[in-house]
Amino acid sequence: MKFPIRYRHFEKIEKHAWLLGILTAFMVSLGGLAEITPLFMEAHRVQPADHVQPYDPLRLAGRDIYVREGCYLCHSQMVRQLRFETQRYGAYSTASESVYDRPFQWGSKRTGPDLARVGGKYTDAWQRKHLLAPRSLVPESNMPAYPWLEEATMDAEDIQARMRALRRLGDPYTDEQIAAAPQALKGKTELDALVAYLQGLGTQREASDE
Amino acid sequence: MSLHWSLWIMFLVVLNLGITLFLFLWGTRVHIPTRDDGTTGHVWAHGTLREGVRKLPGWWYWMSASTFVIGIGYLVLYPGFGAYDGILDWSSRAQLEQAQARNEERLGPLMEQARTQAPSELAGDADAVRIGGRLFQDNCAACHGLDARGRTAIGAPDLVDDHWVHGGDEDTILASIREGRDGVMPAWGFLGYGRVKNLAHYVRSLSGQSHDTAAAAVGREHFSTCAGCHGPDGTGNPAMGAPDLTDDAWMYGGELERIIASIRDGRQGEMPPWKDRLDEARIRLITAWILSNGPSY
Repeated sequence: MKFPIRYRHFEKIEKHAWLLGILTAFMVSLGGLAEITPLFMEAHRVQPADHVQPYDPLRLAGRDIYVREGCYLCHSQMVRQLRFETQRYGAYSTASESVYDRPFQWGSKRTGPDLARVGGKYTDAWQRKHLLAPRSLVPESNMPAYPWLEEATMDAEDIQARMRALRRLGDPYTDEQIAAAPQALKGKTELDALVAYLQGLGTQREASDE
Repeated sequence: MSLHWSLWIMFLVVLNLGITLFLFLWGTRVHIPTRDDGTTGHVWAHGTLREGVRKLPGWWYWMSASTFVIGIGYLVLYPGFGAYDGILDWSSRAQLEQAQARNEERLGPLMEQARTQAPSELAGDADAVRIGGRLFQDNCAACHGLDARGRTAIGAPDLVDDHWVHGGDEDTILASIREGRDGVMPAWGFLGYGRVKNLAHYVRSLSGQSHDTAAAAVGREHFSTCAGCHGPDGTGNPAMGAPDLTDDAWMYGGELERIIASIRDGRQGEMPPWKDRLDEARIRLITAWILSNGPSY
């Protein structure tokens, strides 16, 4: 087979590091351009499932504590489309469930169990005790304790600012909901907020299934 | 997927495959001019390293060639080439549904048996007990412990011993799992610390634990308040879920400090109802595991 392009054209690429780098980057990016750009540009088409509502102020605060404490480093929130996962955790996760998660908490590592459907599985009392002293309930557990959550209170104005920021990104919070946030957070600790967040995980999906 | 994004992906796939295939075919056939010493003249490190020209080893060539065949074969069989579904019509959801259906079929006879048989009969069936144990691990062990010995930190009772707060017959266990239980003891802190402590000594005396005899004698006078639920002799009342205070089973711990805390602050125990999370067959399997004394292994 005779090729029209001769070696000297490619020698130019081989001998010029910048040209070689740019062309390598181009080739490597082809896969990403095919896989990421369509999903990225079409992201606005993912609509919330019927029963998925933005987080109420207490759960929103709890979600931020979840992120701050790095819970996602050990817990995923993504039930995959695999039989042994749906059998253990419940229905597989869908994109429409995460529309109000910024950023989403799907995670990529499970040192502890998946939490996408943990809401309502245990009692509030269990969740509180477990966060404060995991090994008092599960001696085999290697989860750290989070005793400071019980003492820490929250800044309602801060949560209101977060709600306004989320509204600018498209979450349908009303002025009334934002105005009512301080009332919802009154007398609550970070532990209350985190437990409220955990107890809400996955329950909206279940409501829509029934 | 909209048409233009489908075309975008097809274009990129063709472009990528096209460029790599061209480089693969061209690179192995192109004439590379060499110098007298057989190198290309490309040098590094002031001539210490010189680039030679060798043919690719056969195994390398054919392995690379096979990646094109596998890649194109994949795009023909599976979804990936734009909106084209692939001739196998494969999807992860359909695969999941098939796997779930296979699993249902496999578990079918056992689940049918569990729905109809009494847990006490199921307790004699090794498969039923094994699956009941798995279900216990996933759903119940968080509070009652993997060993089912209970957790005093949260008032989850021991399910291995012979003491039952609400009753240990199969119907009562089934009801406890289905409907859950509330174990509420009011707080008696208003009696004052001295009386609470005397009561605690008396409660310890009921089960023959070490106690201050004088304090227990005083505490006994106040026990009439407790007798309404725990009975005049302290043996409890399963109908109310009031635990027996004369045995050695303690939901919240039998140490003096723990008993004082229970009396002073009361207890709000809650076993959640499971009938909405687990079907009847699974509740019966768990009950069978408990009755079989499964945790004892």
